[in-house]
Amino acid sequence: MNLKIFLKSMKFAFRARKRVFAFIVIYAILYIQVGKGLEQSAQAQTLWLLVAFSVATVYAILISQFRRRDIAILKCVSWSNSDVMLLLIGEVVVVSLTAFLLIFQLSVEILGVAAYFTIDIEGPGLLRTLHDLIVLQPGPMFLSLFYIVILQIPGLVLAQVRAMKIPPMKAIREE
Amino acid sequence: MPNPIIQVQGVNKEYGRGKKTVAALKDINIEINPGEFVAVVGPSGCGKSTLLHVMAGLEAPTNGRILLDGVDVTLISERDMPKVRAQKIGFVFQSFLLIEDLTAYENIEAVLWPSLEYRKEKQEAMALEVLREVDMLERKDHFPRQMSGGEQQRVAIARALVNNPPILFCDEPTGNLDSKTGEGVLKIIAGLNRDRKMTVVLVTHNEELVKYAKRVLRMKDGAIVSDK
Repeated sequence: MNLKIFLKSMKFAFRARKRVFAFIVIYAILYIQVGKGLEQSAQAQTLWLLVAFSVATVYAILISQFRRRDIAILKCVSWSNSDVMLLLIGEVVVVSLTAFLLIFQLSVEILGVAAYFTIDIEGPGLLRTLHDLIVLQPGPMFLSLFYIVILQIPGLVLAQVRAMKIPPMKAIREE
Repeated sequence: MPNPIIQVQGVNKEYGRGKKTVAALKDINIEINPGEFVAVVGPSGCGKSTLLHVMAGLEAPTNGRILLDGVDVTLISERDMPKVRAQKIGFVFQSFLLIEDLTAYENIEAVLWPSLEYRKEKQEAMALEVLREVDMLERKDHFPRQMSGGEQQRVAIARALVNNPPILFCDEPTGNLDSKTGEGVLKIIAGLNRDRKMTVVLVTHNEELVKYAKRVLRMKDGAIVSDK
């Protein structure tokens, strides 16, 4: 694997701020819902895993759609399909890991504040609301990361197939 | 007599099917020697850009052979084509085709990212060197939207040079520029032909730019009608 392209693609991803930040928020909500869904009934688990699969697939397709011009240009200047794939994977990894770290950090902060001020998070108040909304236990948190990573794979394969079909000439014709 | 660096043998290119077939190129035969500066001129729609795209391996001919530096690109799979593009071809487009989210420097360096041949420091040096060559070093951290058309085209030229390919294909490189800026861009391209001994194939409909070329191919209705 060309680590150089993978790392550069992460930097590249953050240049598309609006899309990346929007999906970081969406993925963060997804982690919470999948994590909380895993603590519920089998039906809820299935539902949230299906939602996670749909979001991950839509996101991968959107990246390949938004990056069509860039992919065609990069192919014109000698990038191969596997190089392009790393570019797509990089953006997906950036978004899903950043969202995970965001939820991880928020959970730690909320629990930390509660512990520092010896606030009972079972009692009423803002902290209780935040705790119920955001905080995930370590087990479901890491399990949701695992599931979301796995559910991302079909979307990435689909994105790769779409990217492979983009001919270099696309860049020239669309200008 | 050197071996031709570009050989186009019996190339036809057709678009569409059945009764709607349009012949964009008709039995083209050309040989271009290393270090030549060839201009391909003709009216709009005569097939000159198609010829360039076919020569550069961006489009497959309907039939015929294209040899670049002895390599028959019509036999090369899409999987192996990137290597040929990286080693043999630089391409300058009319609409610059820079990536909007990358700076001038990154647009150039991106060509080298897939290569495992060069270390990071070497890649940086190569990208900076070509930026210096087109006099764009001071604008290296600017995004395409922050640059004028002429500056974007100079960055595009630098991008085409960074791999040090022996062949430079230019598709209407001054088409989106005013005449003064276009003249400046053409001088850079002519300088590359003179100083680096690059083989340049320039497609243009602008007769004034023909003066930079040592050889002029005139096209009409998909065929070459003169070669001087």
